[in-house]
Amino acid sequence: MQKRTTRESPDDWHLTDDLHAETGKGDPFAAAVRATRMAMLITDPRQPDNPIVFANNAFLTLTGYDRDEVVGNNCRFLQGPDTDVEAITKLREAIAQRRDVNTDILNYRKDGTPFWNALYISPVSNEAGELQFFFASQLDVTDRKDSEIRVRADKERFQRAVKDRTMQLEERTAQLEAALEAQKTLVNEVDHRVKNNLQMVSSLIVMQSRTIPDPSIRESLRTMLERIEALSTVHRRLYQSDDVSRFDIADFVRDLVTDVVAAYGRQDLRLTFDLQPVDIKAERAAPVALMVNELVTNALKHAYNGGGGVLRVRVASRGPLAEIEVSDDGAGMNGANGDASFGMRLIRSLSRQLEAKVDWVASNPGTRVAITLPIEPGTPI
Amino acid sequence: MTVRPLSVLIVEDEALLAMELESLVEDAGHQVVGWATSSTQARKLIDDIDADIAFVDVHLTDGPTGVQVAQYAAEQKRSMVVFMTANPKRIPENFAGAIGVIAKPYTMNGLLSALRYLEEGVHRPPPVSDRPVGFTLSPDFAAAWMPQAN
Repeated sequence: MQKRTTRESPDDWHLTDDLHAETGKGDPFAAAVRATRMAMLITDPRQPDNPIVFANNAFLTLTGYDRDEVVGNNCRFLQGPDTDVEAITKLREAIAQRRDVNTDILNYRKDGTPFWNALYISPVSNEAGELQFFFASQLDVTDRKDSEIRVRADKERFQRAVKDRTMQLEERTAQLEAALEAQKTLVNEVDHRVKNNLQMVSSLIVMQSRTIPDPSIRESLRTMLERIEALSTVHRRLYQSDDVSRFDIADFVRDLVTDVVAAYGRQDLRLTFDLQPVDIKAERAAPVALMVNELVTNALKHAYNGGGGVLRVRVASRGPLAEIEVSDDGAGMNGANGDASFGMRLIRSLSRQLEAKVDWVASNPGTRVAITLPIEPGTPI
Repeated sequence: MTVRPLSVLIVEDEALLAMELESLVEDAGHQVVGWATSSTQARKLIDDIDADIAFVDVHLTDGPTGVQVAQYAAEQKRSMVVFMTANPKRIPENFAGAIGVIAKPYTMNGLLSALRYLEEGVHRPPPVSDRPVGFTLSPDFAAAWMPQAN
């Protein structure tokens, strides 16, 4: 490679070249630049293509080139296939504008191995302000860069994993919400139909009974309507809360008894409630309702013999058991307390279904009927 | 108690229920002045007849349009609306200006009590009877008719 000489004053870089054999003598700055472990080089922008005019030993050690392979060439031989184009552009622009610049750039050694170069370049001008050369230092920061890249890759991988998982969860949540919504719609639709159909059954009985002249048949139809209306009252209450699987006996009993007593037009009767909330399974609601309806209508039909009185209804829980009591202060044990009546058969069958116990107690005056049933089926009384 | 008859519109898509409601209303001494099965018919009835009460089902032959019927009646300031529905959850929180809702399935007594209650409420509010079982007042009417409960 051709040895270049400056065309100008010999007190420039030739002075330091002359010191080559005797490191530490002569210009102490030049000696320091030669001896430092920091890779450094100097380029001459006044020559075509801004060639390197000086490279210290540290630079040669770092890059693996010999001095004569370096001097006279533009620095770009350090670049390689994976060198970042943006970094190159940044350097090129700074040099064109004669500015300081520093950047981390991927460079390549003579043997082709890459290294991360923390590159600092500064322009150096003479007293007249004319650009003399560029001074560049290189520091191998491959270790730092690698760990930066590893950290960034780890972070990106982690973020991607989180994002993927979040998307999966969001999809799953959306699916579940849609399924739940569909189920709610279905329950609402079925509930709506059951209620409408119960209303229609009641309507048919009411309208049919209008056409019947025989009072005893009308009375039978009325009793039938009462039983159906007890079921209606259950269904009106059934899906009012968000928990469609539970049913509060107390709320229901208040509705049913108030309605039945009003339907009988018994203004001479005083109604007292002693109600404590007791939740049972929704599927047990209908038989409980039918039993309570039998007891209350029975008392209204038979207990008071035309006279006034007090009807007491109590709902309470005792441990795993629910207690429902209907007490009248009428004319003693009422006439319907015979096994022959359909109402009694109904009560007996329903109490078997519910695993319930029904006690009829004469409580002078009047009758107290107490139903004891397990809140959860299978609990012994 | 003397009944000052209410004039009643029935907006109900189930013929059977409309028939029975009509009988019950008339048995109680009131007068049914019209029956509509769709929101279009209902709007026309509301325009043509200034009834005291319109019983409006939420679900009609042209869809869940009962709420719009109530809104229309409230805007026209004609016919006070009472919803009658098996699906009270579909009624908006402000009840679209309606008095309240009778939840289906109602009992015969429940409906007769509601008629008595409404008659009192329409002619000389607030009603003196107890609010019937199965009858829910809108927030506005609850404030006006049951101030002690609030």
